[in-house]
Amino acid sequence: MNEHETSEHLTAAQLSALADGEIGGEELRAAQSHIDDCLPCARRAVDAWLMKPAVGKAGNRFEAPSEFRERIAKLVWRHLPPEAILEALQPSAPRLHWNATRRLPLRSRWALAAALVVGVSASVFTYRSLSSPSSEGDALANEACDLHIATLAAGQAPQVVSSDRHTVKPWFQGKLPFSFNLPEALPLDTVLDGANLVYLSDHPAAQLLFSIGHHHVSVFVDESHGVAMRHGRATRAFKAAHEGFNEDGFESGDLEMIAVSDVDPARLSALIDSLQAVQGAQ
Amino acid sequence: MTLLPWRKQLQEPAGREAASFGDLALEQIPALYNLAAWLTRDTNDAEDLVQETMLKALRGFSGFEPGTNFKAWVFRILRNTYLTSRSGLAAMRTVALDDELDESGDARLPQAAIERETPESSLMRTRDADALRAAMEKLPPHLLEALLLCDVEEMKYREIALVVGIPIGTVMSRIARARACLRRELEARSALNREASR
Repeated sequence: MNEHETSEHLTAAQLSALADGEIGGEELRAAQSHIDDCLPCARRAVDAWLMKPAVGKAGNRFEAPSEFRERIAKLVWRHLPPEAILEALQPSAPRLHWNATRRLPLRSRWALAAALVVGVSASVFTYRSLSSPSSEGDALANEACDLHIATLAAGQAPQVVSSDRHTVKPWFQGKLPFSFNLPEALPLDTVLDGANLVYLSDHPAAQLLFSIGHHHVSVFVDESHGVAMRHGRATRAFKAAHEGFNEDGFESGDLEMIAVSDVDPARLSALIDSLQAVQGAQ
Repeated sequence: MTLLPWRKQLQEPAGREAASFGDLALEQIPALYNLAAWLTRDTNDAEDLVQETMLKALRGFSGFEPGTNFKAWVFRILRNTYLTSRSGLAAMRTVALDDELDESGDARLPQAAIERETPESSLMRTRDADALRAAMEKLPPHLLEALLLCDVEEMKYREIALVVGIPIGTVMSRIARARACLRRELEARSALNREASR
């Protein structure tokens, strides 16, 4: 044992920081000098070096499912500002960003904004035409999905906050040209959170907000236009158009309901079943 | 959660200043998901957590200063979102009242120093990643998150301090203590294995 071994050893925090490259200057020189002469600290320093990459490897454990990554990508894409959408749709266009636009004079920014509105409208139209709705039913489903995501993104409380159907249903009286029923009992783990008055396909509609576990669900209640459920109950075409979000719905008399959520389709169906069961019993 | 304007001192490469939210955010999804899954211990909850983080980041992006550290900013949102969730509140309730008690971590030097086979060398020899993961699962959340941000995300202590909202000294202490806990757990496992093989 040499004289350094009797001096104060490096602390675990110092050795840990050394392995992380977080020690510099005089402290680093002192630590290195100590390690050169102190076998126990040298061993522990080596151990710390071994531990770090092992934790890095073991800790990189969970891989996001591809469906989830796609869903998030769509979520992000939908809420990008016009500049970014334009850029995404026109990859050859010069890169325009908020930072760049902020440096422009006000008049130029307005001119740019006007040009972007035209450009984005054209691009979005092109995108929708290419990707997209082959029927009015699909267009309605697109709009319902957009509204659902916009509601999630806004993060605001519902216009009427209640889990009581006797509060939510009467709230729409005088606001909608139709009425609907809400079931007394909802499927397991499903809760009514409230509702909003929205416009769907240029018509006033009810957006009923539910939670199924951690998942949020929007059920849009609208007057039937005979188009929403053209694809039948399963609305497979909608799912193809909105990967990551499931849609389900039904028509009942003059009423149609479309449910949108990222919850498991079976649980979404159970909610729709319960809603369908009480319509026509007004 | 309040999304504070992000005016931190960390600068990313100049070329990143021009990147859009989409570029920046989507690049972080795998790392965010990994941390979320470690913290929540449930893949469905992890998806919900990352999705909510993205929505909050979208809403708060106007408060983000271009050119500053987006990764630290979005990880902080994820962490705060987790903390305000029911499971996060429960898990973090025990947070480190003893953070300041032992800055040095668990030294235990003399005993460890005389062992020829240390937990780390044994780990490297056997390449027993499962044992290490099992030990990591036993870490308290506040130690685990600091360790993951350091060793998996390769963040510097000052970045971790921004994400977690604690002083750099506490980051240093938590990481050292996390490693000390892992070491103890691996030692115990190693001792059990030795007993079993006798």
